[in-house]
Amino acid sequence: MTIRRLLTLFAVVVLIAGGFAVPSLRARADLPESAVVSTEWLAARLNDPKVRVVEVSVVPGVYERGHIPGAVNFVWHTDLVDPVIRDIASPEAFQKLARAAGINNDTTVVLYGDNNNWFAAWGAWIFTIYGHEDVRLLDGGRAKWERENRPLSTQQVSHPEGNFTAKPARREIRAFLADVLAVVKGEAEGVIVDIRSPAEYEGRIFAPEGFQELAIRAGHIPGAVNVPWAKAVKEDGTFKSVEELRQLYASVGVDGSKKIYVYCRIGERSSHTWFVLSKILGYDVAQYDGSWTEWGNAVGVPIANPAGTVWGRQ
Amino acid sequence: MQSACQSPTLLARSGADSKSDMAETTLGGGVKAASTSLNNPRVVAAVRMGLAWLILGALVALAFSLHDTPNRGAGASLSLLIGVALGVIFQRGRFCFFCIFRDFIENRNSSGLFALLSALAVGGIGYAIVFGAFMPNPSGQYLPPNAHIGPVSWVLAAGGLAFGIGMALSGACISGHLYRMGEGYARAPFALFGALVGFGVGFFTWHTLYVEAISVAPVAWLPKTLGYGGSLAFHLAVLSLIAVLLLRYLPELPAQAGGKLTWQRIYQAVFVTRWNPLVTGALVGIVGTIAYFRVSPLGVTSQLGSLARTALTEAGWLAERLVGLDSFAGCATRVTHTITNNGFLIGGLVAGSLAIALFTNRFQLSRLTLRNVLTALLGGVLMGWGAMVSLGCTVGTLLSGISAFAVSGWVFGAAVFAGVWLGIKLRLSE
Repeated sequence: MTIRRLLTLFAVVVLIAGGFAVPSLRARADLPESAVVSTEWLAARLNDPKVRVVEVSVVPGVYERGHIPGAVNFVWHTDLVDPVIRDIASPEAFQKLARAAGINNDTTVVLYGDNNNWFAAWGAWIFTIYGHEDVRLLDGGRAKWERENRPLSTQQVSHPEGNFTAKPARREIRAFLADVLAVVKGEAEGVIVDIRSPAEYEGRIFAPEGFQELAIRAGHIPGAVNVPWAKAVKEDGTFKSVEELRQLYASVGVDGSKKIYVYCRIGERSSHTWFVLSKILGYDVAQYDGSWTEWGNAVGVPIANPAGTVWGRQ
Repeated sequence: MQSACQSPTLLARSGADSKSDMAETTLGGGVKAASTSLNNPRVVAAVRMGLAWLILGALVALAFSLHDTPNRGAGASLSLLIGVALGVIFQRGRFCFFCIFRDFIENRNSSGLFALLSALAVGGIGYAIVFGAFMPNPSGQYLPPNAHIGPVSWVLAAGGLAFGIGMALSGACISGHLYRMGEGYARAPFALFGALVGFGVGFFTWHTLYVEAISVAPVAWLPKTLGYGGSLAFHLAVLSLIAVLLLRYLPELPAQAGGKLTWQRIYQAVFVTRWNPLVTGALVGIVGTIAYFRVSPLGVTSQLGSLARTALTEAGWLAERLVGLDSFAGCATRVTHTITNNGFLIGGLVAGSLAIALFTNRFQLSRLTLRNVLTALLGGVLMGWGAMVSLGCTVGTLLSGISAFAVSGWVFGAAVFAGVWLGIKLRLSE
């Protein structure tokens, strides 16, 4: 082969590769960009000082062995919850965390993580509770970024201290047992969505395989409809379109006309559904983070147990 | 008396071995018998080399295919290759914890200990570098992800002591049995089976030990108070001090000729002569650092323990939840039906050792007697129990723990040494 031919071949290869590499910088047309961003969108903005990427993964070492360049690490078990009094992170602790991550009040925060973005969605919920307006999820989470062979970095990043100020907690997007009980008793208006698997919902099992039961009763909150969280995503883990999502929830009577309450086992999977209903569809949604591990154990609280696996009988 | 550590061909080829080692060695009939039956040493050599290349090729092919297998990926592939590297390094460098300790206790020969010190020094430097990237500030409430930093209690010391006695009884530690299985050490499978049983015993004793001691034991990690720089300085100072004390027990190394480096000399250095202990140790330290950086800290008992735990759980003999066990970092065990990354690592270790032993003509089946089978089994049980309650063995808790500046690594290491010393003094290894 002559040099000339080689050069031509080289040029062709470069052009083809370049054609593939040029990212489409637009977000998906069928999802609001203010809530969900694509991997292409994020890849083009990794050096944008107005955009801060936060990873919330729960498998130890996942962030450390390679994360999206520039991303900071929030640890769900200690940074985003208070495990001692079983509560969300306090406003002081969260403000300190966000500032150390270089987050300002007007920063665009993009969260992603392992486990289908569940814990990243919890992070988005906490940001929203403390009044941060612009918080988004990376469509498809960490898995999609990896699948597309996008670069990962092991470098720890430090950003200049941000000025994020936690506002008083937005009580309306968080529900406690009494709020949900009022709906069950008909004293308040609302619709309850159980996002766990049908087997958990019906009370055939207490928890997904491999997880501790943590509740002495199985079943669901009376009147709750069952829409497993995974129905909101496509096979590759990316969100379905707004239209599909609207239809999915409307088919079980969740259309935004009434206040919505979502729950799961400990609140991690229901954060995902909270995000879909609240940030993508714009409905009025509260997450009941006490979830089944509180409700299933609470004294004097009714449950529905179609499978008949009430504690002590079986 | 059967030599626990060395194949006779190695002795015949290397000049650095002490006379007492030689005297202890019984020549097995393997190579000799094979060559007379086949009558042509060149054919035997060709078969041997062919097998070695075949194994190596198969390992590389497996690594490639694992990389592209869903749910496996780079972690499994790298684990296999790390295992192969360890198999080769352990075999060529004779990095067997029992032999290292016994050489010193019986023969006052510290060359093996220098390999261990070198591994810990290089591993410590490597871990400090990786820690700095993973978790820049060590003084907070966190521990670095996955690092083998365990609770320090009397259980850890008891586990180490039992493990050391088990090593003396069975002729090697768990990693030693794995690589020496590749050299044809016939007691190894019995010791490893014993270790499975020992793990089972460990699971049954776990709850009591956890409630009584482990649950309230401190998880001591030097960088929390000393920082990374201070910890590394302290780490290297302690290792240097030990090295100075051991220097007088270091036998003379063979003289090295000067002159030009040729292919023949490189081949000789890599495949024929005994490796310099410092080089062996440094390689172990480097592989340990790579393993921590990319997959998880080195350890060889996680798959074995998981196997025992799965079998017992499914037979309904063991509670599904072992309180506290799953919350510690270390050679974690779980109920599983697939080969874990650790399984690929130990598979690679055995196969890598076998390939290099065949290539360098050091493969030889050792002889079995009822007595040495029974002692291998019993030693294995002790090692399995010790590794279970200590959350790892000489690789996972000692090597990966001390490299990670964990106090637990030093406590376990001292206890294992004491156990081996006791075992030898009680003549359990004979």
